[in-house]
Amino acid sequence: MAYVHMKNPKLWVFLAVTLFLLIMPRLGSQYLSYLLLTFLGYAVALLGVNLLFGIAGLLSFGHALFFALGAYMVAFLTTKFGVLHMEAILLIAIVAGVLLGAAIGAVCVRYIKIYFGLLTLAFGMLFYSFLLKFYYFTGGDEGMRVLRPYLLGMDLSAVPKMQFLLGKYYYYALAALAVASFAMWRIVSSPFGLCLMAIRDNPEKANYLGIDVRRYRWYAFIISGGYTAAGGVLLAPVLGQVDPTLTYWTHSGTLVFMILLGGFNTFFGPMLGAFLYIFLQDTVMSLIPYWRFVFGAMLAFIVIVAPGGVAGVIGSLWKKEAARDSARNNADPGSERSA
Amino acid sequence: MPILAASDLRKSYGDFVALDGVSFQVHAEEFVSIIGPNGAGKTTLINVLTGLLRPNTGKVFFKDREITGLGPQRLAKLGIARSFQLVNIFPEFTVDEFLQVAIFSRQGKGTHFFTPRGRDHEVRNQAGDLARLFGLGEKRNIQAKNLPQGDKKLLDVASAFALQPEVILLDEPTSGVSTGDKNKIMEILLSASKKMGIQSIIQVEHDMDLVFSFSDRIIALHQGRILADSTPNEISRNEEVVCTVLGQKECFQIFSDLFGKKGLADDG
Amino acid sequence: MGTDIINILFSGIFHASTLFLVAAGLQVVFGVQRIFNMACGSFYALGAYVGVFFVKTAHAAGLPPALSLIPLIAAGFFLFFIGPIIERGLLRFVYDRDETFQLLLTFAVVLMLEDVIKFIWGTSPQSTSELYLVYGQITWFGAVLPVYNLIVIASSLFIAVLIGYMLARTRFGKIIRATVDNREASEALGINMKVVYAKVFTLGTVLGTMGGALVIPSTAAMTEMGVELIVMAFAVVVIGGLGSMKGAFFGAMVVGILRSIAIATYPEVELLVIYLIVIGVLVFRPEGLFGGSRA
Repeated sequence: MAYVHMKNPKLWVFLAVTLFLLIMPRLGSQYLSYLLLTFLGYAVALLGVNLLFGIAGLLSFGHALFFALGAYMVAFLTTKFGVLHMEAILLIAIVAGVLLGAAIGAVCVRYIKIYFGLLTLAFGMLFYSFLLKFYYFTGGDEGMRVLRPYLLGMDLSAVPKMQFLLGKYYYYALAALAVASFAMWRIVSSPFGLCLMAIRDNPEKANYLGIDVRRYRWYAFIISGGYTAAGGVLLAPVLGQVDPTLTYWTHSGTLVFMILLGGFNTFFGPMLGAFLYIFLQDTVMSLIPYWRFVFGAMLAFIVIVAPGGVAGVIGSLWKKEAARDSARNNADPGSERSA
Repeated sequence: MPILAASDLRKSYGDFVALDGVSFQVHAEEFVSIIGPNGAGKTTLINVLTGLLRPNTGKVFFKDREITGLGPQRLAKLGIARSFQLVNIFPEFTVDEFLQVAIFSRQGKGTHFFTPRGRDHEVRNQAGDLARLFGLGEKRNIQAKNLPQGDKKLLDVASAFALQPEVILLDEPTSGVSTGDKNKIMEILLSASKKMGIQSIIQVEHDMDLVFSFSDRIIALHQGRILADSTPNEISRNEEVVCTVLGQKECFQIFSDLFGKKGLADDG
Repeated sequence: MGTDIINILFSGIFHASTLFLVAAGLQVVFGVQRIFNMACGSFYALGAYVGVFFVKTAHAAGLPPALSLIPLIAAGFFLFFIGPIIERGLLRFVYDRDETFQLLLTFAVVLMLEDVIKFIWGTSPQSTSELYLVYGQITWFGAVLPVYNLIVIASSLFIAVLIGYMLARTRFGKIIRATVDNREASEALGINMKVVYAKVFTLGTVLGTMGGALVIPSTAAMTEMGVELIVMAFAVVVIGGLGSMKGAFFGAMVVGILRSIAIATYPEVELLVIYLIVIGVLVFRPEGLFGGSRA
């Protein structure tokens, strides 16, 4: 299969995970729920990044640019323009992401592979230098504050911070993730999605089938820009503060790392990757200060041994079980006797 | 009006001349085979005709429209498709998905990004029909990379057919296929073309039996020039062509096999 | 005004000298192995840290400060062993994979080396700044130029000449050039790629560590240096053209002098200008000044 489809056992896993996400803030510790909250923002962003990487086959080392764009939009709109409605902020940020994606994408999709990666890295760092240079507007390396936005029109600024974040804001972000996932699922299962996968697997052949490879890559870039910006918007109120490191090239690397960790070949892989990355990072950091080394080793291991990520490993274990099951069934003496 | 016309095509790479003034026309309902020894310029010719290469001089026309150097993607939209000598596939796609993506592209649905493709029954049915036409009906859910080599070839050709082009160029469609299957493949190609409404087929082929049995016209290429451009019968009577293309030793053998007592043996 | 120009040019060339070494390491690895080694900045950082250590040890052992260049160069060479470790231990497993995965593996190395440095030296900067004063300064047309910078520029030029000689005259150099031009043909000629790759990567490593070691007296070794340098090195090789040694040289000059001008006039635009040029180059002439066409 070019993409993993949902079958019954997977449906159960899906439901279990949904249940977990719904009740975690009520039952789990505040700190872990806070981490889960950061996961939500990254999960939305990764939907976009993986449209480009897993589906269209383009590795961007600069997508943190859009993430930071979304986050800075929240800071700007709440502190400088008095726009406090989250829905408006999301809309504006997504439009900004789409427009910037269109502009940058038009330049970048003319190139592939390493050149694409380097060009996107360059744009990411260009944005970084913008944020530093125009410190009068952006606060330079100190960054900007993020004011608490209104959710669905409700002014919740009186609510204590953690209660707000782990209460209404959490479910708001979770709902946003659900909507974003549904939309991306539709995109991936559409004819457009199939065309992107064709472009990923064999761009030359796709050309011969009448698919305008460059144009479709551009479309994918645009959509991913909007999604990644949306992810940044969702993360900003959680951080309370935005700064230029959000667009530094290593943060783009982190986004890709998350995707690889979870698995770029499945729909939920990137989300799984974000989840694992965030919680693993927290766990490792509390054990030793050298978490980067551990993570670097993990990335190396994944790239060399298990490029499909955790989802890939689970998937192949699943297949082995299924193959073993059908072999066992075929070898059943009961079926032979009836012959 | 010819459906495809080449006008004085020239292409050189530095000192090496690949095409040296090639002109010919292909009309509707014609099955044309391009033959010639290796290095004669056949692949370069196909690449120029399908827009992959720009000739140094010369033009290519599709009906009355000039298409020189337009590029494969534009040509596919106009109605010219091509298959490859070395199998060119989407390894991860199933047979079904492979054919579907071609059909989606043809129907202009490539930019539909919010409709589930599973619900497009029309496209799925067409993909199924096409798969069956090419003998891949039982293998629709198998990934292309897991197909045997011959089936990969068929799939590649089938995807070109899925574009319902008016003209299709096949680059050695039976290479890599066992001799026993070659005839079968040609039959499949012919019946598929009729069914899909393909007007003309141009193929590059090395198997002379096939070429002489199935073609309406044969174009023989040698060192970048057209040596002969006529029906199989006429060609078999033109010594110069047969012996350059087929190699001296094979000449007499093929003649006696294909044309009974006619040919060099008699004229000599 | 004239002295300003001389100062700017001079410090620009100084920046270019160390940048060139790291970029040369990047280029030779990319040219031969087609891998963009993001960890080159980390090698630079390692060279810097080890350089400080060697210099301090040498001083403690009684070496006169004027000869400090020796332990610095030794530090650069000493670290050569990192090359084979990474190449044989990690990189060789992905030679047959997609370029993007190779890039990601080098990113993994960046992460690991960052913490290796933290583990050994902690987070506080290490420096030997007194060294600068030892070498003193000279005055030229009114501009005051540190002698150490001159020494670095000279060393870098010397190494550039050595590299040029190696590429043109030695067997290894010919193999490198042949592989860069036409990989399949080289393999067909029976050249043992495994050995070549290991040697080339090690060469790239040492060039990086040497660059880091030599820069030491003028800056401190700091945690962020590797990650920041890659940003500059990357600009150099794009402007100069991926895979080209000449490109590394001229690209380094462009970036070095631009940096210098920016620092002297509007420091905030340093990165901005460099990156605008990088993007401009990638868009209008992706092969850079000297690269072969690849995009």
